[in-house]
Amino acid sequence: MFMTKFVARRSVEIVITLFIIATLTFALFRLMPSDPVGLMVHPLWTPEMKQKQRELCPPQFCCFRQYTIFMKNMLRGEFGTSFYLQTDVYDLIKERLPPTILLFSSSTILSFSLGMYIGRIIAWRRGGKLEYGSTVVGMILYSVPTFWVGLMAIWIFSYRLDLFPIGGIKSVAVWGVPDAGVLAKALDIGHHLFLPLTVEVLLFFPGIMLMMKNVMLETLEEDYVITARAKGLPEKVVRDHHAARNVMLPMVTVFTLSLVFSFSGSIIVENVFNWPGLGAMFLGATIGYDYPIAQGAFIIMSAVLLIAILISEILYAYLDPRVRY
Amino acid sequence: MNRKMRMKTSWQMRKRRLHTTWKVFRETKVGLVGVGILSFFVVMALASFIPPLIDDMYIPLYGNDPSIIGLSEPSLRHLLGTDYFGRDLLSQLLEGAKWALIVGVTAATASVVLGTVIGLISGFYGGIVDTLLQRTADIMMSLPAFAMILVVGSVLEGISIWNIVILIGIMGWPGTSKVIRSQVLSLRERPFIESARVSGASNFRIIFRHIAPNVLPLSFLYMAFGVTGAILLEAALSFIGMGDPMTVSWGMMLQWCRASGFAFQAPFWMIPPGVCITLLALGFYLVGVGTEQIINPRLRKR
Repeated sequence: MFMTKFVARRSVEIVITLFIIATLTFALFRLMPSDPVGLMVHPLWTPEMKQKQRELCPPQFCCFRQYTIFMKNMLRGEFGTSFYLQTDVYDLIKERLPPTILLFSSSTILSFSLGMYIGRIIAWRRGGKLEYGSTVVGMILYSVPTFWVGLMAIWIFSYRLDLFPIGGIKSVAVWGVPDAGVLAKALDIGHHLFLPLTVEVLLFFPGIMLMMKNVMLETLEEDYVITARAKGLPEKVVRDHHAARNVMLPMVTVFTLSLVFSFSGSIIVENVFNWPGLGAMFLGATIGYDYPIAQGAFIIMSAVLLIAILISEILYAYLDPRVRY
Repeated sequence: MNRKMRMKTSWQMRKRRLHTTWKVFRETKVGLVGVGILSFFVVMALASFIPPLIDDMYIPLYGNDPSIIGLSEPSLRHLLGTDYFGRDLLSQLLEGAKWALIVGVTAATASVVLGTVIGLISGFYGGIVDTLLQRTADIMMSLPAFAMILVVGSVLEGISIWNIVILIGIMGWPGTSKVIRSQVLSLRERPFIESARVSGASNFRIIFRHIAPNVLPLSFLYMAFGVTGAILLEAALSFIGMGDPMTVSWGMMLQWCRASGFAFQAPFWMIPPGVCITLLALGFYLVGVGTEQIINPRLRKR
């Protein structure tokens, strides 16, 4: 009962948040120094011809009319037409979303399981060589810039050793063949996925691991852990059932925070590996002042993140019945 | 007389506390390694003034060696080689250290101070204050910081390094404030807060005297994360091509390296800036961990 009310309230809040984000986006992208006409016409046109074209299509509406039209279109999922590509932005986003979700979700799941698993073990065996080694490695990985690791990985594994493709998601050699099997296609995507996924996991899991270790160390000092030990429970039961369960609570908060962090990271990874995802498209559009794409991608990315945050909040309330929002 | 004496004792106490703090810090080793790394980079940053004084060709941004055209491998004349435009890479690296330190420290301090104060207020008062502050934080957090900075950066056109600092500072606080708030939520229900209130402490005093010391470890942890994060973020922005083209930062060096298409042919150009970013970010992180162990004795080794 409480849960339904909570979810309903948060959903309303999310809609309001999205509305604010859309308004902000509208304002920001209107301020952007873009020249749509210049992008639409042929690059060889002379400045005089461009000026003429510009006079042919002056801004038709005042700012407020533009805003209402913008909002109406957003609700319908119409993000307009790209200045550069002259294609519908909705279609572009639909095409770019699956690769992003594939890379982002697999790396999040992998780095969280890995980070929490290793973090739990090293907190338990405190002071050992394992803790020392993994902490040092974790700290170094936490401090490495994403794009540089990507570059180095491409340099070593693709350029020097020629083990993996330099970028992209598909190779023409496999997808160009008309009767290519599903397995061959999946393997090809996996082959392309390997390097970006490894880089993302390597960069995201250390933060989770170190956080898990710290939280776990705090929990192990609690009275109920000492009580559990004093009762003579097996160490494994104390670790997994008494300590680790309570660690879940702060970890959910960490999860929410790290989602946004890794999202930013994945934009760069997509850029470096030329991964045809939403982040890479957004980046290109922002730098190229192609604002229909940029604002569409931005709103969709924000919506995805908001939903992820809502899920983690529900999880938090579920895990800790004391929490009342 | 009495007042003077009290002042003296409080000063002595502070001195003693500082001394014990430094002793614990020294024992942590981690913090000491961090301080070592940081001082190395501070020396590098200070040394960035020297190369341009020796010869004009060592000016990081537009220096040019007449006897070398374009890319050259490390030599005696140019210890780390020259880039595509014939600029000295060592002097660029030194200049980069200066900017990384400036950007990292200012941006992180701003965002952490903002985040801690907002988190404390939000968690302690609850109600409408909490809702307002946290919804603002939600909105800011759901805007992926990096994407947001990209958008604002492209609106500002010709982004300067100070714009980047301000943007990182503004975008950084929600994370800290959320963590601080969730800690405050459980802290304010503890008995010692109740006893403080019963003995007549004001809200202000309870927040900053009784609750704040308990959340400081998290603040410091986030400060370390903050400087590390700010350095990495600035590097990433520059690398993507949203940096300040008039400032030689490590990210900018890598951007030039990639954009010129020589990234894989010239490892002597690509490797040093990346190693420097990593080490400096690591240095701040280690200092943070060391500081954390002072503040939170639970984390100390026994």
